[in-house]
Amino acid sequence: MTLVVFAVLLLGAVPIALVLALTAAWYIAESGNILLFASYPQQLYGAIENYGLLAIPLFMLAGELMNEGGLTRRLIDLARILVGGFRGGLVYINLVANMMMAAIVGSAASQIAIMSRAMVPAMEKDGYDKPFAAAITAAGGLLSPIIPPSMLFVLYGVMAQVPISDMFISGIIPGLLMGSLFFLAIAVVGLVQQYPEGQWPTRKQAKRFLLMGLPAMSIPVIIIGGILAGLATPTESAALASLAALLIGRYVYHDLSLAQLPEILKRTAFNAGLVIMLIAAAGVFGWVIVYEELPQMAATWIAGLTESPFVFLMLVVGVLLLVGMIIDGIAALILVVPILLPIAQNQFDITPYQFGVVVCLTLVLGLLTPPVGAGLFIGSSMTGVPPMRIFRALWPFLLMSLLALILLAWQPWLTLALVG
Amino acid sequence: RDFRLGLITPQSHIWTQEAEGFAEALAEASDGEHSVSIFPAQQLGDEAQMVQQLQTGSLDMAFLTIAEISNRIPDFGALYAPFLVQDIDHAAALLRSETARSLLDMMPSRAGLVGVGFGMAGMRQILSREPIESAEDLSGLKVRITPFDPIRDFYAAAGAAPTPLPLPAVYDALANGQVDAIDMDFDSIRLLKFYEQAENLVISNHMMFPMVAAVSGRVWAQLGAEDREMIRAAMAEHADNIITRFKENHAAWGEELRSQDITVTEIDPEFFAEATEKWEATWAPKAPSLDALRATVAELAD
Amino acid sequence: MLKRLSSGIARCEGAIAAGLAALVSLLILLNIATRSLGHALYWTDELAIHAMIWMTFFTTSAVLKRRDGVAVTLLMDALPSSIHQGMRVFVDTMVLVFALFLAVLCWRWYDPATLWATGFDIQAFQGKTFNFIYSETSRTLGIPKFWIWLCLPIFAASLSLHATVNLVDCLKGLVSAERRSA
Ligand code: NA
Ligand code: NA
Repeated sequence: MTLVVFAVLLLGAVPIALVLALTAAWYIAESGNILLFASYPQQLYGAIENYGLLAIPLFMLAGELMNEGGLTRRLIDLARILVGGFRGGLVYINLVANMMMAAIVGSAASQIAIMSRAMVPAMEKDGYDKPFAAAITAAGGLLSPIIPPSMLFVLYGVMAQVPISDMFISGIIPGLLMGSLFFLAIAVVGLVQQYPEGQWPTRKQAKRFLLMGLPAMSIPVIIIGGILAGLATPTESAALASLAALLIGRYVYHDLSLAQLPEILKRTAFNAGLVIMLIAAAGVFGWVIVYEELPQMAATWIAGLTESPFVFLMLVVGVLLLVGMIIDGIAALILVVPILLPIAQNQFDITPYQFGVVVCLTLVLGLLTPPVGAGLFIGSSMTGVPPMRIFRALWPFLLMSLLALILLAWQPWLTLALVG
Repeated sequence: RDFRLGLITPQSHIWTQEAEGFAEALAEASDGEHSVSIFPAQQLGDEAQMVQQLQTGSLDMAFLTIAEISNRIPDFGALYAPFLVQDIDHAAALLRSETARSLLDMMPSRAGLVGVGFGMAGMRQILSREPIESAEDLSGLKVRITPFDPIRDFYAAAGAAPTPLPLPAVYDALANGQVDAIDMDFDSIRLLKFYEQAENLVISNHMMFPMVAAVSGRVWAQLGAEDREMIRAAMAEHADNIITRFKENHAAWGEELRSQDITVTEIDPEFFAEATEKWEATWAPKAPSLDALRATVAELAD
Repeated sequence: MLKRLSSGIARCEGAIAAGLAALVSLLILLNIATRSLGHALYWTDELAIHAMIWMTFFTTSAVLKRRDGVAVTLLMDALPSSIHQGMRVFVDTMVLVFALFLAVLCWRWYDPATLWATGFDIQAFQGKTFNFIYSETSRTLGIPKFWIWLCLPIFAASLSLHATVNLVDCLKGLVSAERRSA
């Protein structure tokens, strides 16, 4: 019955946070353990009473300030110097700029929003097919939660009780691997489709791009450097990055006026609030099902299916691809980690780092798969291309992501080499 | 009936093992009429959340640090008086005394919990990145603590900056210098390998770290006299086993740490005399049981 | 009248949330500054966390008022638009159900009636209800937690208002649409 309630609410277009909160309430009533109602409000609050979650609004603020302060634009110019002259220059620029942005932005959704606005019109003007432009931009967004910093890793680290900085570090090689595979995909598609000519910037332009781009590059240095060197927690590095983006946007590029701040803060509050509320509701939902020992039962069942860690991980990937089709990545993460991580660790000796990277990447793919794909929707609303047309142009990148997933599930050192 | 018991420690920890021992003992004593499901590793929330669930009666039982209780009943802070006891044997004897046990009588009315018996998590030590040779060396250092008032006041009195951090964040925080030192017990330093990141161990035994086996007051009220006695006996026994196991292993764990490539300094109560005096001034009025505990401590020392 | 009140409240919620977002950032920066100066503050992290949570509940209320929550619109998009208005009524009803449900739970949790009856004597209140909400204090800020949790009843009350206004609006739309088709 609970499942029916869940399905009706979900398909009835009730906001997902409320779907989870109401289903949890229904489940309490149905299980007869109505004493849980007395803890329900406090649990809703307690689920998000967590230091790690502070990184979410702060990374979002950093992203907003980068965009409004003109830092994004300078990073794209910087990418022009590197790959602008190849045939299909803008495609490569798109990918390189996406990789740079991924070192700053923590979520695929915000990165797709930022980059679609910046890249797709330019590519269309140069004669690229618009759905293809939207698709490559959306695919680039997939790098965002894998290359540090990453909101998904923050959430995962909080749940799995692993240091968030180590989680970030374990995403570096997988992020670069995915980036390379995407390059490969682009190169192959380019041979078939004959991309338009690229154009190298003139020496004078290149000098200006480089000079103007350097301050913007300080942001990823602050974020990743701060975390890797152990100078700041991820939350703190996001705060420092916001401060740096504000100062650079205001006093170096002069693109940002302080009068814009209230609007930027409001957008940050709303975007972060959406995510955190989802976590609160999923927290209550998870708490209720733990009480009824459902995860423990599911764990026993899955653990009986295989003995190979690789097969187990691929099973998890398969299940999560299905889950990711209909449930938002963050909500799914919160639901599955408490169930599956203990099995992965105890029965299959899989490290929490490898498990985390594989699970997060799988769930990120769900952002770009119909019917429920936030990334597709955002890309579509930014470009006006229908979601399904973006999806159809996406398949080379989805295929490459799947290949990356298989490699990561197969070879643990890809995630562990840098963690030490 | 099936009871739920929550605790913060992971699956392999002594507390969790004894919780499981209690579950078996109760099932046996009741001929299978009662069973206990264990929820380790904060599955049901942190201690504050578990206490609230115990109060509403949705959770039946828990193993809780006294820190969580002292946040609600300041008198329990007396158990954290710096250098109240000389060593772990002394601590074990104190926790088993009638005086300590009488503290539990406050729990039903002031926290809605029935305290069945004490356990412990050893004695507190200090592990630091830089050597600490005098009390002044601690001045201005960021010291990680579990957030509760008595320990915060102790480190504040010692001139340090007490910094609350959850256990999973400690290793990282030591590695990146977010904190300079940590307040921790032998077992955790050993298991979580904190000595890899901070190579100076001050064996101070400055505080004991008691645990209480608690039952929800509401649930307790629904139980018959026979069930209550059965639960009390089994639970108190396994809580007490925890004390025994920490006591027995204390020396071996200390040796294990000494054999690491770290600098070990042993100190006596004189080292922190000033901080201890300041602490007393704050806590004597707040924790009236302190006098009775001291009297018992003196008796036990004889 | 109610509609104007609801819109006014939603605007305030947005503004407060923006302020809280700023507060969160400043607190973290303050924490970095004081820590690097060797004067770490005990309470900044906890205050930042509570500010973030209040921000979350304020924005959620405003977002649900605007019907902007993240939802699965798959079925809605597939169905003919004549049914859409009916589905909107369903969604608004569910938001109202949730808001009222939470409001009831918060009422029982804070139990103001018993608190009044016991003359605000916390000990007597606890003895009578076994409810310890008023004696719990926050870890590092040291203030009673019932002040901190107050964002939940506020959220429940304001969301109840928003949801009622939205539902009435939606029903009006449904009635007039039916009249037009008749
Ligand atoms: Na990223
Ligand atoms: Na999807």
